[in-house]
Amino acid sequence: MPADLLNAVSADVMLGLAQAAGAIVLCAAVVVLCGWFSVHVEREAAVSIARGLVQMVTVGMVLAALLKGVLLIGALILLAMMLAAAFTAARRLQGMAGAVPLCFCAIAAGSGVVIAAMLATGTLKSDIAVLVPVGSMIIANAMNACAQAAERFRADVTGHVGEVETGLALGADPAAAVAPHVRSAVYASLLPRLDMLKSLGLVWIPGVMAGMMVSGASPVYAGIYQFVIVAMILAASGITGLIVVLLMRGRAFSPAAQLILRRAEAARS
Amino acid sequence: MRETTFATSAQPIAAEQGGLEPRGAGAAARRGLTFETRQLSRVVGGKRLVDDVSVAVPPGEVLAVVGPSGAGKSSFLRLLNRLDEPTSGSVLVDGADYRAIAPRDLRRRVGMVMQTAYLFPGSVADNIAFGPRQRGEELSPEEIGALLARVGLPAYAARDVTGLSGGEAQRVSIARTLANAPEALLADEPTSALDEASARGIEELILGIIRERAMTCVIVTHNKAQAERMAARAMLMESGRLIAVGPIREVLNAG
Repeated sequence: MPADLLNAVSADVMLGLAQAAGAIVLCAAVVVLCGWFSVHVEREAAVSIARGLVQMVTVGMVLAALLKGVLLIGALILLAMMLAAAFTAARRLQGMAGAVPLCFCAIAAGSGVVIAAMLATGTLKSDIAVLVPVGSMIIANAMNACAQAAERFRADVTGHVGEVETGLALGADPAAAVAPHVRSAVYASLLPRLDMLKSLGLVWIPGVMAGMMVSGASPVYAGIYQFVIVAMILAASGITGLIVVLLMRGRAFSPAAQLILRRAEAARS
Repeated sequence: MRETTFATSAQPIAAEQGGLEPRGAGAAARRGLTFETRQLSRVVGGKRLVDDVSVAVPPGEVLAVVGPSGAGKSSFLRLLNRLDEPTSGSVLVDGADYRAIAPRDLRRRVGMVMQTAYLFPGSVADNIAFGPRQRGEELSPEEIGALLARVGLPAYAARDVTGLSGGEAQRVSIARTLANAPEALLADEPTSALDEASARGIEELILGIIRERAMTCVIVTHNKAQAERMAARAMLMESGRLIAVGPIREVLNAG
């Protein structure tokens, strides 16, 4: 049995595990360094590293099994990723009822529209081996945009209750009363993606381009395709950020235009 | 509750100074609306912030709401323009349940001055124009100038709000509220964040405006001397409940 198991683990997987071990050692060294400066992330780092490794190995195994699957299977995998992304993004909205479905709607709309557009225009192939990795990049960025926009909007509104209620008291409708906070939240969620686009090729060469070049594609085409991917990430993030903020805005007020997204009011005289 | 006498309100003084008349459909020229609360309550997290309060405020009256911290004064005031929703009971505005009035229209008619001015970023003129702009109305520079002159800040229109003192900011917030031509004014400790000199100036300004416009006014204050200077009648609250209402001196002595 042990011999069979060893035979099943190919040489490149062993190489990958060795490389992962090296990466973990480096991360551990950084965690120790942080500890010297009283930044204690030992437990969180250990959990994150373990989860990341297990998840990536699992995904690799699933992809290996489904490599020749149909588009429907690819779509289901992406849907599951969107759900997981919604749970992750919703953690930033602790205490808010219905945060998971809200985040799921925004992430699914943002990444779904963009992935569908890429499939329709032939920019993205329906092969699972291409669809899932590229789709996951778009979903992951939509997730980050969702979390950033939602967190910023909530922090801005709860931190400016007086200003928002002053607007309401002057006869503004809820949308007008929080308009500056909608703008700043969507902008904050887009900023990292805009910076990513600006620095493309100058500061970093993303993985898709590197992978295409390694597998023999023209560097120029690989560069252009990478731009397309990052531009689509920006589009997905924009749609996601906008939708999550608009959905949150709808929940921030009662039907009688009263601000209900705020800290406990029991202390008010 | 000890008494529910409705004292004679301060006699309205005819409007003669600058300012705005309500514009558009439904903008009646009549000033000073009537408030009546009936068994009004607001409960949050099991705590009764306002507990079964019934009181009436006739047109043109200035009613002071007094009581210790945590008595429910501000919570009561916020219910009057429906910034918060009553848990039970009702508020009648000119005899009609205010749930029948669109919140935007109600808040246009019932202006509010808060403890902090909360000016929006931009110029003083932008702030003054905010309320009418929500209804698609643009104030002329002359109208803005008249409002600012009324609050003692002529030639302030182009100033950025970041450079204003606390007293100036509160004056701008009063002018901004007046730009909606409200029929009633709710004031929530409007001078408590100011120094004594600024506080007296704001107090006199509010009193002058509500008298010249014959506006109904409900003012929350912890300052008994201020309550006595501004209001003919007062209501005393404790733990969300109405303890007494009546002539100002009687209520203040009871507190």
